[in-house]
Amino acid sequence: MSIVLIDRLQFAFTIMFHYLFPITTMGLAPFVAWYTYRAAKTRDPMMAHAATFWTKIFTVNFAIGVVTGIPMEFQFGTNWATFSAKAGGVIGQPLAMEGAYAFFVESIFLGAMFYARKAIPTRLQSVSAVCVWLGSWLSGFFIVATDAWMQHPVGYAVASDGRIEMASLWDVLMSPFAWWQYLHVLCGALVAGGFVVAGIGAYYLLSKREDVLGRDFVRRGVAIAAIFSALAVFPTGDRNSANVTQYQPVKLAAMEGLFESVNGAPLAIIGMPDVANRKLIDPVVVPDVLSFLAYGNFRAGVHGLTAYATELWPPVELTYYAYHVMVGLGTIFVGLAFLATGLLLWRERLFLIPIVLWALMLAMPFPYIANEAGWMTTEVGRQPWVIYGLMRTSEAVSPNVVSGETMFTLIGFLGMYFLLGVLFVYLTLREIAAGPSEAHA
Amino acid sequence: MSVLAFVVIAFMLTAYVLLDGYDLGVAAIAPIVARTDDERCAAMQAIGPFWNGNEVWLIAAGGALFAMFPLAYASAFSGFYLPLMVMLWLLMGRGIALELREHFPSAIWHQFWDAMFSISSVLLIVIFGVALGNLIRGVPLDPQGYFNGTFAFLLNPFSLLVALFAVAALALHGAAFLAWRVEGAVAVRARKLGRALWIVCAVVLIATSGMAIVTRGGIIFSWAGIAGIVALSLLLGYQGASARNNDRSAFAATSAFVVALMAVAAGTIFPYLVPAYPAGTGGISIYSAAPSPPALLSALVVTIVGIVAVCIYSTVVWKKMI
Repeated sequence: MSIVLIDRLQFAFTIMFHYLFPITTMGLAPFVAWYTYRAAKTRDPMMAHAATFWTKIFTVNFAIGVVTGIPMEFQFGTNWATFSAKAGGVIGQPLAMEGAYAFFVESIFLGAMFYARKAIPTRLQSVSAVCVWLGSWLSGFFIVATDAWMQHPVGYAVASDGRIEMASLWDVLMSPFAWWQYLHVLCGALVAGGFVVAGIGAYYLLSKREDVLGRDFVRRGVAIAAIFSALAVFPTGDRNSANVTQYQPVKLAAMEGLFESVNGAPLAIIGMPDVANRKLIDPVVVPDVLSFLAYGNFRAGVHGLTAYATELWPPVELTYYAYHVMVGLGTIFVGLAFLATGLLLWRERLFLIPIVLWALMLAMPFPYIANEAGWMTTEVGRQPWVIYGLMRTSEAVSPNVVSGETMFTLIGFLGMYFLLGVLFVYLTLREIAAGPSEAHA
Repeated sequence: MSVLAFVVIAFMLTAYVLLDGYDLGVAAIAPIVARTDDERCAAMQAIGPFWNGNEVWLIAAGGALFAMFPLAYASAFSGFYLPLMVMLWLLMGRGIALELREHFPSAIWHQFWDAMFSISSVLLIVIFGVALGNLIRGVPLDPQGYFNGTFAFLLNPFSLLVALFAVAALALHGAAFLAWRVEGAVAVRARKLGRALWIVCAVVLIATSGMAIVTRGGIIFSWAGIAGIVALSLLLGYQGASARNNDRSAFAATSAFVVALMAVAAGTIFPYLVPAYPAGTGGISIYSAAPSPPALLSALVVTIVGIVAVCIYSTVVWKKMI
């Protein structure tokens, strides 16, 4: 295997594994803060049990998120030294800000939250929980801003020796591309958080235990999932598509499996891209809709892949399927969350209909798949560029690291993360099985 | 401005060694001073709420290095690919051990993670020591500024001596922390261990300094030399405070000792970030590795504002906790 491929596999594997945990921390942090605040305010022991329960789930996620996050920052230097040397003057800054502004807030206040832990949470604990929430969202912002700059570079200048220099940090952080991407990422995390809380609540109700908290979890989880699954589609999903249409048209063509440029481009609902023959196999399409979604005009012309040199194509199949998995799952989330919300508003009939509770429980893993698929669309779809239009991924690797070394570390990460995954599943299932209030009864 | 950036990164790394140093040290001495499950739980709980925030100083320093000296970041991290990866794995093992041990009340479970915690922490101190030793000694660089030596080159006697010194110094720092923050038998053993360790530290410090003067030459009359003498006198300060059972002052003395040592290291390396071997043949300096002045200024401003804020609120929060 070529060194570039091993480096890419290592980055893809470590980032995809890592990202499972920030999804949960960003999605659960508001719930942790809410239950801690309610418990401190009302002194209701049930709320205190809920606060302790979600804090425990949160901290396991946080711990694994932190330890798997450290290699991410260092890999820019170890595996992608040419990229770092060339673009570090720009992307080093949002990354440094993540450390200086977000990580400290998260970790110091999480420590305080634990230190202050009492049977009934104290004010220090609820203030800390809110700070941890803000820290986790801030951390997400800096990372997305870094990625968004690589997707759509702004606020930079190219020096005479080819180095890319920061011209305006403000432009980098305030780039609309970054903000829409960030808001979409937050929606994705909150949909996951909502479905996890609702799913665990549904599990308790179906097991005929934790009746009070089970219902509370379902109500709150469903509400959050409904609001943010809708916001994930519109406006954040829509605005992201508009940005891709404008700045990365070849990615759009790959996402949609559109090979030929046409006026009135169809939207492919299903179908399998056949890259060799440049067509979509067995497609089910809605005519003209892609043109409308991209340009607000049913007859607008959309460039297909063949409008670009093949060396500028991203891996078409992966981009296409990742995008369709995300969109398909997102649509199902909207349907399920709105159905459950309707049944809650209709005199809480939801709790009498086991099949919907089953659906909520089984839905839990799918927001994670949708989040990962969304990132795959973004990152695979911008290939062959590491910095869009400025630097190719193949030119970015470390000059002095050989494939034997990266293969060794890739295998090391695979083994270590497998063990971490097993531990995580075991400890989380153990907490869920113990239950929030029964463990203390 | 490059000098200021060097000072900022040195400050962040010093904060890291000062803060994470005591929890690394606690891990190193835990098998000696905390013998039962309850004692180990007490020792872990003493560092539990702090270690993660402490470790962030390393991550933040890495980020600051990336922003302020991208060329040094790229060259050093890719040059030391394998040692860095091993360091990352050890950091992971240690973090996981400390966090996950709390989630299962079983003595066997605790024993496993405590062993993992201590072993990975000691190995980390050794790696940091070897890295620091090599930075003081210089490393072979190719014309593009990338490391072109071998793994075996890094394990030279001087760097190994620095590693031994790092283990002793942080063990002392950890012992002082435990003596201050924990009650009962653990504190008694930590004080006793501290009284042996400060002598070890003094001896190894003198040996290391001697070897550094031989290797690099001409540092004894510099700022680094002065900081070294300050460090030695702080060890005596520790001994005095510890003899009076004033644990708080003893910890303050080891903290100042660690800061003085970092000042020695920074003073020796300056103005380089990665000096070349043999000494005096250049290296990656703070002038060659920095980006354009406006970019460096912007990185400096956001980093300094950030770390000043961190210092303020971490002091406020920690005051509530101690």
